[in-house]
Amino acid sequence: MTLIILGLGSSALAQTYNTFEPSKTQFMLRGYGHTGFEYLDTGGEQESTFLGATFAPIFLYKHSDKLMFEAELEFELEGNELKTGLEYADVMYVLNKHMTVRAGKFLLPFGTFMERLHPAWINRLPSRPLGFGHDGIAPASDIGVELRGAFDLGGPKLNYAVYVTNGPRIKDGSEEPEEAGMLDFGYYEDVNLAKALGGRIGLLPLSDSSMEWGISAYTTNSTGAEDSDYKDVGAFLWALDLSYVKSITPLQGVVDIKAQYNSSNVDTATYYEIEDGISEPYSFDNQSSSFYTQLSYRPIMSGSDFMKQLEFVGRYSDFNAPEGAEWEEKSTQYAFGLNYWLSWRSVVKFSYQTTKMEGGHDSDGTTRTNGLFVHWAIGF
Amino acid sequence: MASIMVACSSNKKPIATDTATEVAGSEVDFKIEKSGAQLWGEVCNRCHIAPSPADYNDTDWETISLHMRVRANLTEEEITKIESFLKSAN
Ligand code: HEC
Repeated sequence: MTLIILGLGSSALAQTYNTFEPSKTQFMLRGYGHTGFEYLDTGGEQESTFLGATFAPIFLYKHSDKLMFEAELEFELEGNELKTGLEYADVMYVLNKHMTVRAGKFLLPFGTFMERLHPAWINRLPSRPLGFGHDGIAPASDIGVELRGAFDLGGPKLNYAVYVTNGPRIKDGSEEPEEAGMLDFGYYEDVNLAKALGGRIGLLPLSDSSMEWGISAYTTNSTGAEDSDYKDVGAFLWALDLSYVKSITPLQGVVDIKAQYNSSNVDTATYYEIEDGISEPYSFDNQSSSFYTQLSYRPIMSGSDFMKQLEFVGRYSDFNAPEGAEWEEKSTQYAFGLNYWLSWRSVVKFSYQTTKMEGGHDSDGTTRTNGLFVHWAIGF
Repeated sequence: MASIMVACSSNKKPIATDTATEVAGSEVDFKIEKSGAQLWGEVCNRCHIAPSPADYNDTDWETISLHMRVRANLTEEEITKIESFLKSAN
């Protein structure tokens, strides 16, 4: 009897097992989250808070060796409200050895920070460098189509990406006068017939792929609505980026250097300032720039298991917004961090950051902000 | 999990040096080709810490490889070799 049952059992098992054969199409649910604690001192005014956990599920659907869809949702508490976002949602198809087409909403290869380094489990510090993110000058994502690919040059490698997207909208000051002249890259709806055209070329000159230099450009003829005074206000942006990651035996660890310079040039236009009920026209040379460089070191060849999980990080960044704009600003920031890696995708980051800002949203004079951060990020 | 990472980061060296010299087919110019293991050590560490082969099963590696090929703009040769290494070593 037992034998019969066993016999039946094993054949049933064998059958069930067959259904676990990989299917041609594959679906993965991945993503990341982070939480933390922050203490900020802004010109003597202190605040501290635990941060609501951020949760970003990522959906990857692979239809075949060539066709794939990727999407990331973002859930975050802003104050008491749940803020949701669609970070990206795009479909990609490998056309040939050297060319893949992507369409949808995707992260823009303008430099490397937003496309490759910003997720909390990748970014070595809890904050973004100046110039990225909210009110930043570097475009992060947009809706459009893109061609990208890579070539092996027999040791060195070259990669490229070119894209056409809806492009940014200029803030004309009618809603937020203090932001007149800023480009809004987070406005995904197309406001005019003009499209933005951009691209990046990356060169990895060394055969061990340890170094990559990249140059990016982004241009549009029009950033204003079709029927507005700002229709002919164009913009040209460019960026330079560098990445160097190498395991260095005498240093007993991995050295990781990242840097990016962004420059934004928006055509000069006239904006209006309302003073005592009278509308005063004004104009300024609309040029902004930002830069960051980061050095991190992980002693992975150290004899101590504890030391192997540690990482030391330093980052400098600066941001210059146009003189004469309501959002005129010159900021410099230093950030230092000590990270403890629990796994390749989970890290506890301790950091100290000090920012000196001259000007900024309708404030004159210099503000110094010092912050202490403890963040815990995990990818899954 | 922590030990996986350490294993991954510290294993990399020996794997890389052991298998670095795989000679290409005799037809061409005796170019020394890199192994998938060596490429994994060099390429997958550029943006984030490289996952170790044991972190995912073969099916997942196929999806991840296509995702990374496009996101990181890798050459077809690089990703093909790395994918077969990851699938053979997990
Ligand atoms: C040029 C930068 C870069 C390189 C090189 C790179 N990755 Fe990634 N990787 C990323 C980014 C960015 C993400 C996060 C994707 C997201 O969250 O949108 C990621 C995510 C992942 C994930 C999580 C699952 C997924 O697909 O999102 C795995 C696993 C992974 N990478 C493995 C690898 C492997 C293996 C290699 C080597 C072939 C590699 N990566 C090389 C940038 C890179």
